[in-house]
Amino acid sequence: MIMTKNKGELTMGNDKQNAFKRIMAIRGMGQVITVAFGLIVLCIVFGIINPTFFSSKNIGNLLRQIAPILIIGIGQSYVLITGNIDLSIGSVVGMSCMISATLMTKGVNPLVAVFITIICCLIVGVLNGELVAKCKLPPFIATLGTMTIARGIAQIVNNNYNTDSIGDGAKVFRNFFYYGKTMGLYNTIWIAIVLWIVFNFILSKTRTGRHIYAIGSNIEASKLSGVNTSVTTIKVYVVSAICACTVGLVTTATSGMGTMDAGNSYEMYAVAASVIGGVSTLGGQGILLGTVIGASIWGVLQNGLQFAGAPVAIRNIIIGIIVVVSVLLDVVVRTGKPRKSRVN
Amino acid sequence: MEKYIVELEHITKSFPGVLALNDVAFNLKAGEVLALLGENGAGKSTLMKILSGVYEKDSGSIKIFGKEIDDMNPKKAQELGVAIIHQELNMCAHLTVAQNIFLGREKIHSGVLAAKKMNMEAKKILDNLNINIDPETIVGDLPVSKQQMVEIAKALSINAKILIMDEPTSALTSKEINDLFVIIKKLRSEGCGIVYISHRLEELEHIVDRVTILRDGEYITSMDLQETTLAKIISHMVGREIKEKFPRVDCERGEKIFEVRNLNAGKMVRDINIDLYAGEIVGIAGLMGAGRTETTRAIFGIDPKESGEIILDGKSVKVEKPIDAIKLGIVLAPEDRKKDGLCTKLSIRDNISLPNLDVLCNKLGVVNKKKEKDMTKKAVDDLRIKLPNSEVDAGSLSGGNQQKVVIGKWLVRNSRVVIFDEPTRGIDVAAKVEIYNLMNELKQQGIGVLFVSSEMPEVLGISDRIIVMCDGRITGELRTEEATQDEILQYATSFEKKVDNGANA
Repeated sequence: MIMTKNKGELTMGNDKQNAFKRIMAIRGMGQVITVAFGLIVLCIVFGIINPTFFSSKNIGNLLRQIAPILIIGIGQSYVLITGNIDLSIGSVVGMSCMISATLMTKGVNPLVAVFITIICCLIVGVLNGELVAKCKLPPFIATLGTMTIARGIAQIVNNNYNTDSIGDGAKVFRNFFYYGKTMGLYNTIWIAIVLWIVFNFILSKTRTGRHIYAIGSNIEASKLSGVNTSVTTIKVYVVSAICACTVGLVTTATSGMGTMDAGNSYEMYAVAASVIGGVSTLGGQGILLGTVIGASIWGVLQNGLQFAGAPVAIRNIIIGIIVVVSVLLDVVVRTGKPRKSRVN
Repeated sequence: MEKYIVELEHITKSFPGVLALNDVAFNLKAGEVLALLGENGAGKSTLMKILSGVYEKDSGSIKIFGKEIDDMNPKKAQELGVAIIHQELNMCAHLTVAQNIFLGREKIHSGVLAAKKMNMEAKKILDNLNINIDPETIVGDLPVSKQQMVEIAKALSINAKILIMDEPTSALTSKEINDLFVIIKKLRSEGCGIVYISHRLEELEHIVDRVTILRDGEYITSMDLQETTLAKIISHMVGREIKEKFPRVDCERGEKIFEVRNLNAGKMVRDINIDLYAGEIVGIAGLMGAGRTETTRAIFGIDPKESGEIILDGKSVKVEKPIDAIKLGIVLAPEDRKKDGLCTKLSIRDNISLPNLDVLCNKLGVVNKKKEKDMTKKAVDDLRIKLPNSEVDAGSLSGGNQQKVVIGKWLVRNSRVVIFDEPTRGIDVAAKVEIYNLMNELKQQGIGVLFVSSEMPEVLGISDRIIVMCDGRITGELRTEEATQDEILQYATSFEKKVDNGANA
């Protein structure tokens, strides 16, 4: 009331209010804020159970745990927003890990190894996109196929063995992707931040981003509006493959060797991070800020439950429940009630 | 007097915003074939859906075999012997004929399916109808006509005494139609009452005994076919009052902007020729399924063209994808808003800018928010779209406003030809008039307007020239001043003769 009366005097307040309004006007922001609130509650609970949760060492570790989940979450969010799914993410992580490690143990320059690895992963991404967009395969089946193929490649590159240590020559590589710090933060975290900024910009500010939302919302209407739906679909799968590739490189740097089952079931972690953060599996809805929160909840749960001394089995059960409940809550909030079965 | 097996009286049914049926009477005798006739939207399907229990009536009475039924539902209708065969067949394509016939009431023998018994019974039913189909064939492998016969067999296997057929011949060849007629006649001689809905008036004389005509949700008349003529039937079907006022603007007809030459694309677009001049609106009239939507889709490059030429401003142009058309300035506001027109989960701003991102983006593909905002504002203001703000979901708007968004997104760019497919379907009168005004504005600006509509008064009220389509062909072209509703309907029902006169005598 007072605000309206003293309009002139309160311009400062109004500016702030406008900024706040503008942020709130972003689609999906409301939900992200709800989930963010849940994240804060979780952190407080874990902090109370075990105060060392908030130690700077643990925070550093926690962020480093969240980073890979966030990176694959970005890729999966892209794909989910177009109304598709990418099941090959985990295997591409494994493939990237094995290819890069094998090359480096054979003495290939790390830079060249990374380059070759990226090319291989890109091929999987393009293949996914082609199968879904051009061959009209259901995305679930198409990426189920490439998931198996990519895992097979991960196994074949070093004759069905994990690799030896990638050696001292790859020190720069390991520092760049995992051990090194820049301005007090681990490099892995920086990589996640940079990727997030780039892909968030593309999704929210560019033509391609619009097309991604549009085909997820209504692919027919998009076609009729002149959107090249095939190219857009291929693009999102390529983004997903690049993200998975990056996580594979991080994994190699972490363990200093290639492991064939690296990235196992990461595609599902990526779905969970996206969905908890409000990305709809039906397409057309969600923002990458939500994926950050979703990945953080995932990481905090893993880390916090570990700190609280919960065994792995219990951790899995709790995390599974949280995924289902968060999506159920979303449905309830959006429609007012859970879907009723039809009464005859 | 023979006894009626179905008596519907004073049936009224309204849907939000529309009075679909108003005090309609309908009756059917045993052993007769009755044709239920009327234009698109006359209420035929609604009436039959009430009879078969799909819709609930608002008021009126339903008597079947002399017994008053108050709470009709699909299950009850089935028990009473009412069966409806829809235009789109409802069968499980992956199951066998026998499995479909017994779907939901499978015979069980000591806990397992009695497949042999069901196959035998299915065979018996089919034989009875002189239908030669192996009951173990997969339904999806049969041609449509045979599938239809299976559907009839299924209806009869539950002892249907009242059989409703909605456009049963639209997908059939002449031989198949004859087969169907044989079956219908057989059923009639066995005492079934058959309601036959069809737009193919030339078929009537071969099988129909009586006709009942609806118009605008009202009962018009019932007559024995013997005592009437096709011309009389048509004049009863049309003659709709033109209630709405149509804003008309007269323009000097300019030069030819757009031509379609010998366009072929599938069965529903055959040898289409259209000329479009600046300063005129051309209406495409026809019945449902006449190939009008298919024609617009082929022109716009959604469906592939087999042959033909598109000429814009005297130059032959290539339109293979919608993007080609859009770049040339040919745009289409499609028929089905929810399916083809709108991204309902996205904001109005997103929807309006979607086809215009080429204008709104810089070289790097970054959207210019300011330009976008201005464009949205212009579209919203120009079309007077009523909305809380341009960030709300497009799906949350009313039908009329949704339609304006679909149209608005095209009008903010410079177009040469605008194609509207059923632009006023399902929207209220006020919104309709606004859309007519909009079309007139385009016409005044010298933009070519092509406009598909199933509402005859609308076609007559708005267009300067009318093209009538039937069965994928253009069957007539009229100047609006000379056109009458009778004449349009005559052209709209000029089907290629599938049935030989006298073949069934």
